[in-house]
Amino acid sequence: MEKIIEILKGIHPEVDYTTESGLIDKRIFDSFDVVTVVGELMDEFDIEITAEHMVPENFNSAAAICDLVKRLEEE
Amino acid sequence: MSFISMDFALYVTLALVLYYIMPAAHRWIILLVASYVFYGYNDPADLGYIIITTVSAYICAYFIEKLTVGQKEYIKKRSEELSKEEKKAYKLAVKKKQKLILAAGLVLNFGILAYLKYANLPIAYINYYRIKWFGSTQMIPFIRVLLPLGISFYTFQTMGYLIDIYYGRYEREKNLFRFALYVSYFPQIIQGPISRFGQLAPQLFSEKKFDFYRIKSGFYRIMWGLFKKLVIADRLAGFVSSVMSQKEQYTGAYILLAVFFYSMQIYGDFSGGIDVALGVSEMFGIELAENFMRPFFSKSISEYWQRWHITLGTWFKDYIYYPLSLNKSIMKLGRNFREKGHEHIGKRIPIYIPMFFVWLLTGMWHGSQSRFVVWGLCNFVFIVLGTELEGISAKTVNALRLSERGLVMRSYRAFKTFWLMSFLRLFDINATAGEAFRAFRYMFINFRGFDIEKVYENLSLQKEDFIVVLCAIVVLFAFELIQRAGSVRKRIFSLPVPLQWVVLSLLVTAVSVFGYYGPGYDASSFIYGAF
Repeated sequence: MEKIIEILKGIHPEVDYTTESGLIDKRIFDSFDVVTVVGELMDEFDIEITAEHMVPENFNSAAAICDLVKRLEEE
Repeated sequence: MSFISMDFALYVTLALVLYYIMPAAHRWIILLVASYVFYGYNDPADLGYIIITTVSAYICAYFIEKLTVGQKEYIKKRSEELSKEEKKAYKLAVKKKQKLILAAGLVLNFGILAYLKYANLPIAYINYYRIKWFGSTQMIPFIRVLLPLGISFYTFQTMGYLIDIYYGRYEREKNLFRFALYVSYFPQIIQGPISRFGQLAPQLFSEKKFDFYRIKSGFYRIMWGLFKKLVIADRLAGFVSSVMSQKEQYTGAYILLAVFFYSMQIYGDFSGGIDVALGVSEMFGIELAENFMRPFFSKSISEYWQRWHITLGTWFKDYIYYPLSLNKSIMKLGRNFREKGHEHIGKRIPIYIPMFFVWLLTGMWHGSQSRFVVWGLCNFVFIVLGTELEGISAKTVNALRLSERGLVMRSYRAFKTFWLMSFLRLFDINATAGEAFRAFRYMFINFRGFDIEKVYENLSLQKEDFIVVLCAIVVLFAFELIQRAGSVRKRIFSLPVPLQWVVLSLLVTAVSVFGYYGPGYDASSFIYGAF
């Protein structure tokens, strides 16, 4: 989780990622930000993120991103 | 067999009767036979191509899944003795083999499509430059290729399935004949929509009870599709092609009107055909994906492409855009830029490079001529400009004290998007990109008066036609405005029965009386049927 928040802070440092749950829905992150986060996650955690994972539910909060990473690490 | 013919109406009726008298578990067999007979009716030779696609995708999916199953069993058996790294290395080796099988399937099928669609393109270029540079009179003869009906649509649908199997999104269909139905399902074979396996296959094989509501609802949809195709699209076709083929003779006003009418024509033609496809399918109890969602109400070009030919757009998004965007090399390139301090460019690389390829391919999909590539890339440029100028646009709107959600801004954006897309269609209705640019120029340098009498006299659009088509366009837009609040058919079906009959009679009368029927009362072919 800390690593994920660190990545997210690198993009939008002003957001409180421990509470924010509308990163996509509130348009805090645009598509450029999401793809940047995905690139960092794939690199950091050595996982493969594909088209079906690219849905708002997976990126709306740091916790949701953490769940996605855990799921993909287990595969 | 055209969608708009008595033959097709009888064919569907017969297929429906056989379908519903068959025990529910075996109804898909009727659909398979009906699909193959329908496909072979046009040209039996076409069946060869669809069989090659079906069998090759079936075999590739079989081997891909076999490798996945083998991998799972291997890891399960040795889960104690293998380290995490060894498991990962094993999985990677399997994935590599699967990738090869997938590549073989894709190369074969897209190779056939590319050969049939583009084989004559290099020959045309060689001939052109031989004449231009060497004055040669000897021409390389063109290869005689007849594009099988709907080959782009079923190839895309089937290759989408194969990619999904590779990613493990679905379990493969083990019965070859059931799979053959997924590839060839006749209502969608001519011009789509391009279905996904997960959405279509369960419906094809589930046991459905006969439901008169579906027949009624499907019939309304078919009639609405015929209204768009016969009353609007076919009536405008002559006018548009006359103006574009002799544009020097007309003022800018005529060209502008032709551009507007072509947008109506292509929308009526394509979405009308899709309505027929979806309506017929609904009668069999199978809901196909929507392909249009009121595109002329879009407020940006990106939004327009989420509402027009939706299933092609999502196909490109899922199978070209995302795989490229999420590709490690492209990601790395973006990161390199960011690390060197070019944050803005670095972030855009994994979005704009894949988007460029999507539009290049979308252009090529629409035709082999270079004008379609120009058309695709113009779309790309407009979308990039729209995205990059969002900030300036928002500031301007604020400065003008307007709201993006207000009627003024929404109307302005819809108007702008409609005309940008309409102007881009000049590449579609002119034989070359040069002609398209010339037409665009004429529209502005030669914008003199407009003589409606001249339209009636010369442009295969009589006064009555003109009135009918304008009324029909108003009806179309009114329908779509109502549709924004929910299904129009559901509203009709909530009316008292006599009123439902009135609506249906009006629709049938409009199609029969105001439909534009050519010599021999044949409807024109669908524009997208040749793709």
